[in-house]
Amino acid sequence: MEPIQGGLASSRRQWTALLLPGSVTLAALFLVPLGMLVVYSFGTTDIVGRPQLGLTLDNYRLVFQGYNASVVVRTVEYALVATACCLVLGYAVAYTAARFAGRWGGAIVGLVTVSWLVDYLVRIYAWKQLLSDGGFVNQTLDRLGLAPVSLTGTSLAVVAGLVYGYLPLMVLPLYASLKDLDPSVIDAGKDLFGNPRQTFLHVTLPATRQGVIGGCLLVFLPVLGDFATAQFLGGPSNTMIGNIISDQFVASGSQTFGSALAVTLIVLLVLCVAITAVAQRGRGRVTEVLP
Amino acid sequence: MSASGTFDRPRFLWVVTGLTLAFLFVPVVVVTVFSFNSSASLTSLDGASLRWYRAFFDDVDLLASLRLSVVIALVSSVASVVLGTLVAVGIRRGTRFIGGPTNGSVFLRVLTPETATGVALLLLFTQLGIPLSTTTVVISHTVLCLAFVAVVVGSRLALLSPQIEEAAMDLGATRLHAFRLVALPVLWPSIVAAGLLAFVISFDNFITSFFTSGLGVPPLPVRIYGMLKFGVTPVVNAIGVLMLVGTVVAVGLAALLAAQVRRLRGAQLEEAARG
Repeated sequence: MEPIQGGLASSRRQWTALLLPGSVTLAALFLVPLGMLVVYSFGTTDIVGRPQLGLTLDNYRLVFQGYNASVVVRTVEYALVATACCLVLGYAVAYTAARFAGRWGGAIVGLVTVSWLVDYLVRIYAWKQLLSDGGFVNQTLDRLGLAPVSLTGTSLAVVAGLVYGYLPLMVLPLYASLKDLDPSVIDAGKDLFGNPRQTFLHVTLPATRQGVIGGCLLVFLPVLGDFATAQFLGGPSNTMIGNIISDQFVASGSQTFGSALAVTLIVLLVLCVAITAVAQRGRGRVTEVLP
Repeated sequence: MSASGTFDRPRFLWVVTGLTLAFLFVPVVVVTVFSFNSSASLTSLDGASLRWYRAFFDDVDLLASLRLSVVIALVSSVASVVLGTLVAVGIRRGTRFIGGPTNGSVFLRVLTPETATGVALLLLFTQLGIPLSTTTVVISHTVLCLAFVAVVVGSRLALLSPQIEEAAMDLGATRLHAFRLVALPVLWPSIVAAGLLAFVISFDNFITSFFTSGLGVPPLPVRIYGMLKFGVTPVVNAIGVLMLVGTVVAVGLAALLAAQVRRLRGAQLEEAARG
């Protein structure tokens, strides 16, 4: 038998040993690369375009200049609109599944999950097929005797594609938190407030705050970095940050400028998390909002 | 339920839910239907055929990519489940000194868009002179999935009271024994679920693979990206359906397996309690 005395400290050390392989992996292959992004974002490129260490703000100046600045703003706008749409639609689906659907609730969530299992690029491709000139939507319009509309290469197509791509990530945490909510709390709210709108705003919504925040982060953040949706569904005027970043690294661009853009993306992320953390202060820790 | 309004009226919610599900499924249905189309048209149906499935199975390059994606997903999901579970346990039970920052990194890794981490890894590999290959993809997927595994297993572990294990130790079990007998049976389903999630994330992964794969055979999603860039082809529809069916079958089997294990464990525990 182990000695009870002093066992706690030594056991903590033993458990910590389990942590090390994963901690080292995360440090070497997540934190170090992020650090390198930051370092090279202040660097310059040589004649061949290879990144060189340096100490210049030129890359950041480029990020916040004319065209690029408008892309950053557009990306944030798209991400906000897509997240808001996902929240409204996702809440309705999750609420129906958790409250009214009985045993069909699981089936609804299952369907949502299955749609998410379709390969990301195939889903974008499916949208392209539907929306393209002479595509399914336009053919239907044609058959109805309506004039065809140009749907790809518009903000609408890109935002719809983003909503489609990330909606399941909103539904799952919302469903989990609505499922955890005791229905009698909602009934009590109805007794208290009388009308359903008040009940929803004052009882249901605050009680499922964790799911709302978790879902919004899970949608908003990856959308900020998305590039395939805008590339295939959008036109030249729908470019997002991700498109410029990937061009810098994969096409013959400037990796230092790409690093500055990626750091901008991470700063946006940190801002979001910080805002969430402040809003959540005294209401439990931010890490708890993840599913 | 006397009061009625849009917020608590099932009919309204059912309509929105139905429309949303339709929104999610119309593209899936379109892909499926057109994958059986006999002509190359992506707009009009010209009779059923398995032409595009045959085209897929006749394409040596596509099959090589599929095989590669399965291997990558298997290796990186196993590696990330081992590392991620250890991390989850270590964060809960270990010293704050390392556990805290690790927890922070896990959290940040889950939230950071793959575009940023993908180019960061690309920068790391190129600056260290490591050529991009299947190995760099597997390494990158493992780090990505590790964080998700740690979150999934960690959230289950958080619900587990350490007092039960302490009780087992009072009854003479060693620490490891107590963990294996008390915590592991409870954690097992979430470990399986995390492994499944890791497999799906890796198999379907495009963004991270895109930045970390080299000039050799690309993983399937990167290959699809290339195909889409050079115009649309109905073969993509067939690939999409096959990938969906494959993933759903894999997820279903794993869920059945997990249920089976749980039942067996339950029976064992009951027996142990009686004996």
